[in-house]
Amino acid sequence: MKNRIKFLAVLLLSVMAVTVWGQANKIEFSEFTLDNGLHVILQPDNTTPNIIVSIMYHVGSKNEMPDRTGFAHFFEHLMFEGTSNIPRGMFSRYVEEAGGTLNAGTNFDFTMYYVMLPSNQLELGLWLESERLLHPKVDSVGIATQKGVVTEEMKQTRDNQPYGRLLVETVSRAFTTHPYRWDVIGSDPHIRNARDHEFVDFHDMFYVPNNAVLVIAGDIDISEARPLVEKYFGDIPAGTKEIRRPLPNEPKRTVEVRDTVYDNIQLPMIIQAYHIPGSGTNDYYATEMLGSLLSEGKSSRLYKSLVDEQRLALQVAAVPLGYEQPGLTLIIAIPQMGVDPKVLEDAMNKELENVRTKLISEKEMEKLRNQFENQVVNSNTTISSRAMNLAQNYTFFKDANRINTTLDKYLSVTREDLQKVANEYFRENNRVVLYFLPKSQMN
Amino acid sequence: MKKLLYIFIFTFVAAFTGKAQLDRSQPPKPGQAPTINIGDYSKFTLPNGLKVIVVENHQVPVISWQLTLDIDPVMEGDAKGYVDLAGDLLRAGTKNRSKAQLDEEIDFIGASLSTYATGLYGSSLTKHREKLLSLMSDVLLNPTFPQEEMDKSLAQYLSALPIQESDANAMVDNLISSVVYGSEHPYGEVVTKESLGNITRNHVTDYYQTYFKPNTAYLVVVGDIKAKDAKKLVKKYFGKWTKGEVPRKNYNLPSSPAANKVALANREGAVQSVIAVSYPVDLKPGHPDAIKSSVMNGILGGGVFSGRLMQNLREDKAYTYGANSSLSSDRLVGRFTARTEVGTNVTDSALVEILYEMNRLVNEPVEQEALTLVKNYLNGSFARSLENPRTIANFALNIERYNLPKDYYATYLEKLASVSVEDVSAMAKKYIHPENAWILVGGNKADVAPRLARFSEANEVLFYDAYGRPVETTEVSVDADLTAEKVIEKYVEALGGKEKLLALKDVVMKMTTSMQGMTIEMSSTRKAPDKVLVTTSMGGNVLQKQVYDGSKGVVTAMGQTMELSGKQLEDMKAQANMTLELDYGKLGYELKLLEVENVGDKPAYKIQVTSPAGSSVTDYYDLENGLKVKSVSSQDTQMGPMTVTTSYEDYREVEGLKFPFLIKQQAGPQSVDLKLVSIELNKGVGDDVFSIN
Repeated sequence: MKNRIKFLAVLLLSVMAVTVWGQANKIEFSEFTLDNGLHVILQPDNTTPNIIVSIMYHVGSKNEMPDRTGFAHFFEHLMFEGTSNIPRGMFSRYVEEAGGTLNAGTNFDFTMYYVMLPSNQLELGLWLESERLLHPKVDSVGIATQKGVVTEEMKQTRDNQPYGRLLVETVSRAFTTHPYRWDVIGSDPHIRNARDHEFVDFHDMFYVPNNAVLVIAGDIDISEARPLVEKYFGDIPAGTKEIRRPLPNEPKRTVEVRDTVYDNIQLPMIIQAYHIPGSGTNDYYATEMLGSLLSEGKSSRLYKSLVDEQRLALQVAAVPLGYEQPGLTLIIAIPQMGVDPKVLEDAMNKELENVRTKLISEKEMEKLRNQFENQVVNSNTTISSRAMNLAQNYTFFKDANRINTTLDKYLSVTREDLQKVANEYFRENNRVVLYFLPKSQMN
Repeated sequence: MKKLLYIFIFTFVAAFTGKAQLDRSQPPKPGQAPTINIGDYSKFTLPNGLKVIVVENHQVPVISWQLTLDIDPVMEGDAKGYVDLAGDLLRAGTKNRSKAQLDEEIDFIGASLSTYATGLYGSSLTKHREKLLSLMSDVLLNPTFPQEEMDKSLAQYLSALPIQESDANAMVDNLISSVVYGSEHPYGEVVTKESLGNITRNHVTDYYQTYFKPNTAYLVVVGDIKAKDAKKLVKKYFGKWTKGEVPRKNYNLPSSPAANKVALANREGAVQSVIAVSYPVDLKPGHPDAIKSSVMNGILGGGVFSGRLMQNLREDKAYTYGANSSLSSDRLVGRFTARTEVGTNVTDSALVEILYEMNRLVNEPVEQEALTLVKNYLNGSFARSLENPRTIANFALNIERYNLPKDYYATYLEKLASVSVEDVSAMAKKYIHPENAWILVGGNKADVAPRLARFSEANEVLFYDAYGRPVETTEVSVDADLTAEKVIEKYVEALGGKEKLLALKDVVMKMTTSMQGMTIEMSSTRKAPDKVLVTTSMGGNVLQKQVYDGSKGVVTAMGQTMELSGKQLEDMKAQANMTLELDYGKLGYELKLLEVENVGDKPAYKIQVTSPAGSSVTDYYDLENGLKVKSVSSQDTQMGPMTVTTSYEDYREVEGLKFPFLIKQQAGPQSVDLKLVSIELNKGVGDDVFSIN
């Protein structure tokens, strides 16, 4: 039972882009750029004999062509297939033989690969990541296999999952122009139609040193690590093509959009998606705190009112999607059995109205600050979370040291700022509202 | 047709002028292996029996407090769910604070505090530690379990429960409980609507009063605190907790099936199946087999990407996004499970591969290379896990709880290194049972069930609902005299009788359905003895037209006309016959009464009807009123064979004969509801309507 309810919470959080970084204790690191444009960040921490070698490419689904959605993610799969020197199937094998582990992830804005290894295997990690940046190689068996795997991944994580289509159905209505209008996993036919030369072109444009940041964290010695990085990455030629980057060109929304989606689910779900500014802007920090005001903890506004007191909802969550360019805050609610979704939505709107019209109390503001302080301190406790946060700060802002200043950004948000962003972004005509209803209610 | 496989379709960057000294062709050699140190812990016991373990770690200013009850699981019987509910309600109000006050005070310091059936967990920044402890202590010692909060939680449980009915993973989890462990074991109980309805407040308070005692609890403190300060605080906040007698329970070990059995939970419309091969094992934490068997499981499918299940099902066959296996140890009963999610059409093929890999592991020694890989991987995982100070705390807790040797974890890597090929074979023979397993599937019954029976020794599939309860399928042997023919006779009677049916000359029906917001009209005209015309149109435009004139049949769609042949022609011919059921014998149809199975919640006779040409349909006739309620057949489509399920509902009488006014048709993920809007009998339809030009 408990697991079921937890599952729901996890599900709601799974659409969340975690973008909290920073720490009370300063995180020390050193950084440099190679001649070919590769930016390198070294973050030593000798507590345990482990390292992470990670590389973030500044390419995500927003860099795709509209008829090749899902390509960046599919390409990520292909990057495990091998290189000129690494036969098919051996990439993960080398890592596992060394006692390490590896994975990768693609989102709207970037693609990240990482290898975690014992600290005596640093060179192996550098060899592997430099190999696939330099000359990955994919054969027809690999392409065909990964097409099949990605098709199953689409089903497993999206199409066959209750509420799995939440994000794709939302972004396709919220964005009319910007490439955030399709989801990361994309379209099955687009992937299946892709021809071999397209993979070469994609690599030539995006998988180049000048579009990447390499972060090594853990049990390293900077004076030993730096020459090794130069040895494996120094000779990789810089890219020559102009990198395709979309502009933040989504027109300002002026009218509310409402729609209904029928899916294989048992309980309805309401999604309100409000357009918000891009990650890193002052208004963005305020919208994130507003999200917490609404749904972080059991005393939060929406939870207390809708779940606890009025018993209209089973779950509520306000989830800011902190994308590089202007994104969305999703406010999601699942009605309790027998509650009309419209009644629940009216109650949600009333809480938003409260935030727009009344300044929050000093005490509530202090609670938010305490919550963010706790969150930021806990967001940098492992070498992998630090590597991720350093890489993302560099990729988005060309400023890795933001890892040390993020808490200040939150702490400088005022009560008035919260009211301001509530009025500016959390308006009826700045949102898309979707009702996910069980197929059994379709007629 | 064999495809020519190009070894290399392309390479990305052809020319590369690297420095001569860098040989990229081989992986670099590792440096000297680092030493792995397991951090230390301290422990003490309070006079009330509370055992405390402290792991210091001052890297970040955070402290966590985890209290765990070391009790035997409880059988909850027909009130399953109350133990979890008691855990949840622990923080729903105390003698000093309402639930709202607790929520507010926890959130205010940015802390987390969760409670569950076997303990509680709290974490905060160091500077808020005393506030957090006062809240934890209040929750633990003074809970009031308010009736109002209990009703609220139960309402939420009930609301959330149906989510499982559309979640094949939840269905398989429930099958693991109910069939692998069985209803006689506490791990085998599943929460249902009914069991939640049986919970009373007494269940909850009794549970708390019986089991929440310091002398059966461990408190694990991890983080930015000195052991001596921890001791002071623990005394202050948990010292007043009073000890008491706690009952112990023993349970029989659940047994594996004597031969493979297949259990299926139906998820209508699923495009993937969740499949698991599972059975209970007797493997206790810290048993001498534990490390060796974890290596064995690693080779099969535990953790490593190079695991055999992953390589076979994903990298070789592309059946799935992931496939893995687990072998868990547990003080009561452990479990082996191999699990994956695959496309519906390869459900059986994937099972073949899983069983193949299990057999191979039992029958063939593993390659030294694979063994080394898994050992290295486990070595690395162990080292990585030490980054989290709670790992050291868990090690300490396990040593205390399970009476492990004090150096169990300190010598873990040594023991791991000594695992041999022979050890793996011995472990596989002992713990891998491809012939004594439950094969569990959550998926679309209509599509997958027929292909699963062969995996069971008894050649049968056992059906369960989403909560792991058997679905009633009574054998018909109750009434030995009953035959399929008699069921059909009863059906004909129920429709209005043989005479009225034979007097029927023609029927014109108009139906509508909506697809993606658009209304689609369907009209069917039938004339005795053997003519039919079906047109499908939208907004007055004909989309498709099917005609059978008594000998020939054609389909016209999108300006193209196709003459029917084979099975399609036969289907059309059967559709044209308004009294087909009366003619089954004469036409040479074979009927077989299979069993009684529920359709919805009503029992129905299940009859297999096989035409002279060999195509077969399964029809369901309501046990009580005799009417046909469902029909399942296989249709050939562009995407291969697809199961079509048709339900007949809302029978109404028209001029003395009954017709279904609502027909629901489900084909794969698609479903349409056809509503009858008009019906006319014996209007003198002319033959020209059916002419094929």
